[in-house]
Amino acid sequence: MPKRRDILAIVLIVLPWTLLITVWHQNAIAPLLAIRKACHHLVKEIFIIPERLAVRHHRLSDDGVEGKREAGGQAQDSKEYCASDKDIVEVVRTEYVYTRPPPWSDVLPTIHIITPTYSRPVQKAELTRLANTFLHVPNLHWILVEDSQRRTPLVTRLLRETGLNYTHLNVETPRNYKLRGDTRDPRIPRGTMQRNLALRWLRETFNANNSQPGIVYFADDDNTYSLELFEEMRSTRKVSVWPVAFVGGLRYESPKVNAAGKVYGWKTVFDPHRPFAIDMAGFAINLRLILFKPQAYFKLRGVKGGYQESSLLRELVTLNDLEPKAANCTKILVWHTRTEKPVLVNEGKKGFTDPNVEI
Amino acid sequence: MATRMKLKLKTVFLLYFMVSLLGLIYALMQLGQRCDCTEHDFPKDRTISRLRGELHRLQEEMRKLEVTKQPLKQPAKPSLPTIFVITPTYARLVQKAELTRMSQTFLHVPRLHWILVEDSPHKTPLVTDLLMKSGLTYTHLHMPTAKDRKLQEGDPSWLKPRGVEQRNEGLRWLREDRRAQPGGDNQQGVVYFADDDNTYSLQLFEEMRSTQRVSVWPVGLVGGMKYERPVVEGGKVVRFHTGWRPSRPFPIDMAGFAVSLKLVLANPEACFDGEAPMGLLESSFLQGLVTMDELEPKADNCTKVLVWHTRTEKPKMKREEALQAQGLGSDPAVE
Repeated sequence: MPKRRDILAIVLIVLPWTLLITVWHQNAIAPLLAIRKACHHLVKEIFIIPERLAVRHHRLSDDGVEGKREAGGQAQDSKEYCASDKDIVEVVRTEYVYTRPPPWSDVLPTIHIITPTYSRPVQKAELTRLANTFLHVPNLHWILVEDSQRRTPLVTRLLRETGLNYTHLNVETPRNYKLRGDTRDPRIPRGTMQRNLALRWLRETFNANNSQPGIVYFADDDNTYSLELFEEMRSTRKVSVWPVAFVGGLRYESPKVNAAGKVYGWKTVFDPHRPFAIDMAGFAINLRLILFKPQAYFKLRGVKGGYQESSLLRELVTLNDLEPKAANCTKILVWHTRTEKPVLVNEGKKGFTDPNVEI
Repeated sequence: MATRMKLKLKTVFLLYFMVSLLGLIYALMQLGQRCDCTEHDFPKDRTISRLRGELHRLQEEMRKLEVTKQPLKQPAKPSLPTIFVITPTYARLVQKAELTRMSQTFLHVPRLHWILVEDSPHKTPLVTDLLMKSGLTYTHLHMPTAKDRKLQEGDPSWLKPRGVEQRNEGLRWLREDRRAQPGGDNQQGVVYFADDDNTYSLQLFEEMRSTQRVSVWPVGLVGGMKYERPVVEGGKVVRFHTGWRPSRPFPIDMAGFAVSLKLVLANPEACFDGEAPMGLLESSFLQGLVTMDELEPKADNCTKVLVWHTRTEKPKMKREEALQAQGLGSDPAVE
């Protein structure tokens, strides 16, 4: 009899502890696994790169990854280097990477691209071709902010597979938010909260005093950007501007530049008397300016159509400080294209296609 | 003594049990909240970014070595089959933007030859300049569409088939060009018809490179559905999953297949039939080349979407037209 009781007591003690340990382990492992995967992936790249590369001559950093290997590295090696927690068992998946961004340069200022995005059928297509463009630009940092409650696996996977330098954020715009007693339009324009979150992230991440040079650009996911544009904006000292095609019901809108190379007005039809009659894709801001004026954000509510950009820019700079680019604002380097909403009539009510296939 | 010991032990056990239970409840509550795991990540993150930096430095070195290295010793690698992309295009407002982003995608694909055919009686400077600056291997052709075959203002896009003459011209040039340079290696290649407003992932081109006859894959956002795809059983295409007229011989979009160059050259009569009824354009070409049984499924047995049939909106030009009526239109010399 005492024996059974003893056993019962032992079981009652051990059970909660095992549950606790399993739960805790699982919780802590997931982020570590992600890091380990990244580590594996990276090590694989280093070894797979080349038969051509004389790996013997190159010594990677001392603590851990050593370059003295024959080429054609094996998957096992990466395990050796990355496994500091030997108890984690993990299957190393070989990810085939198709292309790489250009090598990071120490002299070029980083371009931080802020892109708000939201889920819809064309989202993956838009982000794919945007990534194809960005992969050509050196020193690019993509800040992708989703309009969602949590980060979606579609975007997470896409960002990881591109190989770009990125930051993945998310914030949900409250829908149909009605302010009591507010007679003006209470809707927040799309993308505003996401852009503001990115600005806040930049301010939290970078120190105003000793940060590397950087440029901030707001790029929507359906526009088209030429590669020349990014090189033009890299030399921004405060805020630079250029023409944008297909906005304001015109072939293009552009700033008016006088003989002295200063912006004195706006060549637009739609309300040219706005403080900054320019599209989101038509300007870039130096990171230092963003950090020095930590209160400058896009106004969330009560902003008239077309005044969004002004709500931010007027807190940062005056008309006189604007730097015209693109050959004194005579060349078009960015197009405000919009993708048609695909007609999905044949899906019907229940959906004809397998919802598990990602598009 | 014995009973006292027992009692004490009991209390100890009970206490121990209560503590464990409390600990478990606490852990479960923690599970519900987002864990602040950032502390774990920093040292590993730093290692990774340092490794990345080294990696890129190595790539740079490698590139430098490539230039100075002597081109010997290395056994000649079997060269990749060239992908010939035939794109019909026509002048409209968004043309330059579309071609720009297409060229940005193509620049990532090794051994790609872009055959761009304009719907125009002569080559336009816009396209000529764009191709020259693109850095791609290209062929610039032009072939105007007959007036009665052209879509008029206000016509829905499906009324008349588009790009037929241009694609056929691309095929004609390819056949002539290959005939002029005999040689086994020259026959290696894949032909793909890419429209200028679609979106292509880079993986697609790697999938199609291994085409032996005709390969197929799913296309997103087409046929009124999220995606259309061939249905694959036992490694063979048995039918097509599409919502619109699935009884067509090849109910597949232009962007959903690629043909090996050998097959194109072996069938010099195969081309697109402009008279074919709506939706049968692709079939008119493929019917003469291959049977459904011979199709090669790609994209993981046709389960992944690697190309999307996106369409770009026509930009609204109300104000431009109003301005032009006043003689104040934006400078037409600016592209």
